[in-house]
Amino acid sequence: MSYVLTTLTKKREVDSVIRDTIDKVLVLRFGRASDAECMQLDDILAKSAREVSKFATVALVDIDSEDVQVYVKYFDITLTPSSVFFFNAHHMKMDCGTADHTKWIGAFRRKQDFIDVVEANYRGAMKGKLIVNCPLPPERIPRYQLLYKDM
Amino acid sequence: MAENWRGECSNPNAKTLVPGKQDDSSKKNKKKKETGSQFEFCTVCNLNHDQGQRHKYFPSHKKSLSACLSRFESKLADVRFFLRNPAALRPEHASRNRFWCIFCDVDVEELGSSFACSNAINHLSSVDHLKSLKHFMWKYGGGMDRLDSFRILDADVTKWRKKCATLKKEAALSEDRCHGPLSGLSNDIHREPNIGIVDHFEDNYTVYPLKSSILNGVTPLQYNTNEQQILYPEIAGGPNAGSLPTKLVSSNASLHSADDSNGVEGNVHSGAAPPWLDSSEHSLVDYNIKSFSVNVASHSNKLEKSRKLNPKRVGAAWAEKRKIEMELEKRGEIAKKECDSGWLPNFGRVWQSGSRKESRREFEMEKQTLLKKETESEISKEIQPYISKRIVSSHQPFVMLGGVKL
Repeated sequence: MSYVLTTLTKKREVDSVIRDTIDKVLVLRFGRASDAECMQLDDILAKSAREVSKFATVALVDIDSEDVQVYVKYFDITLTPSSVFFFNAHHMKMDCGTADHTKWIGAFRRKQDFIDVVEANYRGAMKGKLIVNCPLPPERIPRYQLLYKDM
Repeated sequence: MAENWRGECSNPNAKTLVPGKQDDSSKKNKKKKETGSQFEFCTVCNLNHDQGQRHKYFPSHKKSLSACLSRFESKLADVRFFLRNPAALRPEHASRNRFWCIFCDVDVEELGSSFACSNAINHLSSVDHLKSLKHFMWKYGGGMDRLDSFRILDADVTKWRKKCATLKKEAALSEDRCHGPLSGLSNDIHREPNIGIVDHFEDNYTVYPLKSSILNGVTPLQYNTNEQQILYPEIAGGPNAGSLPTKLVSSNASLHSADDSNGVEGNVHSGAAPPWLDSSEHSLVDYNIKSFSVNVASHSNKLEKSRKLNPKRVGAAWAEKRKIEMELEKRGEIAKKECDSGWLPNFGRVWQSGSRKESRREFEMEKQTLLKKETESEISKEIQPYISKRIVSSHQPFVMLGGVKL
């Protein structure tokens, strides 16, 4: 459990965070705080949250809470941890060379990677783009297999 | 050995000396020689070319030429401003006011002039400048109809000179007024500069180094303080009351009044601030305002523009609306709306093709079908014990074989 970042357990809270973050990138981490990879991601997020605070906000969402299941289904979250990026209540997609452009799955290797990703999102959003390219090289992007629909 | 070498060399030389007399392939060489053999340097494009006279009609050249000319015109705009409103030039500012005339390839400096841009104005109205301007336009294809925008016409120059003259007269008059009563008391050294100014007045307008030094207000401590103090306030009041429009005179007046007040309040021995410091700030500010007003305005505009957020950014309209809502909520005009429990952000789903609104609709439909399924399954979900056929058939209280249906 990260004490630096806010953890959200209710849909209402998630909604308010999304709606109140204006002109900043919002990073919503969906995961379980007890999971090892999630803990690693949380660590990185907590350390870099302040550095990106001028153009980004970070929040954690607990997947296990029932209220939030709507979002879990809406965002198609199956693998944890998943980070979804928003800008002005609009979802930002990122093309990392993986199958799923709608979210970032897995942890970041370094703080700088996370900062670069958030910066890429911010720059694209400021130019009016809803999908941005990932600035990281492929070796630093966590790989996973996406199962097909309705399976 | 050496002779042999020379002999070999001479043959190839002999060949090239007579190009035209060879076969048809040399015709191309001939053409090349005629059209563009020598490399020339184009100052506008800043490159060497062998296209000769054709170069000035090329689009790249035309572009660079128009850029060049527009830059020069903008520099001239400043000069024209001072043409219309002549102002005195302080020596400390002189070094800033030089410019490069691209037509004459000469640097026009303002070292000896007493009025802002006077050297520049004189240069731009001179015959030599006109000549070089015409040559430049012919050489680089500038368009002869635009000549007047790069020079200053004689009529304007005469007007400007008249204005300068009137300025000087007024300045000299105020000087005379201030320095008049002193003449009886002060040394002959101070008399001389006054006389010098009056004499040269009608003749030429250019060099007044003595005058400028006096204008700075660096008055030497050779006056008797008592009588000057009594006289100064009257005199200082005079020019001000006369409300002469020139900044020059008003700064003089302020100089003298500062001088005068410092004479009363303190001096070098009492540690008061020297008069030229206070007054020079004044005049510097005035001068700066005049000459850099245009630049400052444009710079502030640029700053404002960069602070505004890009209106094309993602969700800009939504952000603006939300900001207004939050402002109103803060002020308490609108009660804080608890957002709809069914609100979902704009999201593009993984397997979705088409716009994002569709993704939301799809999701809503999925939700509804899910709900229906769940309700249906709930209704039918009653756990029933497994009854095997044997039990049913034999009606014997055997132990049940199967488990509970999950």
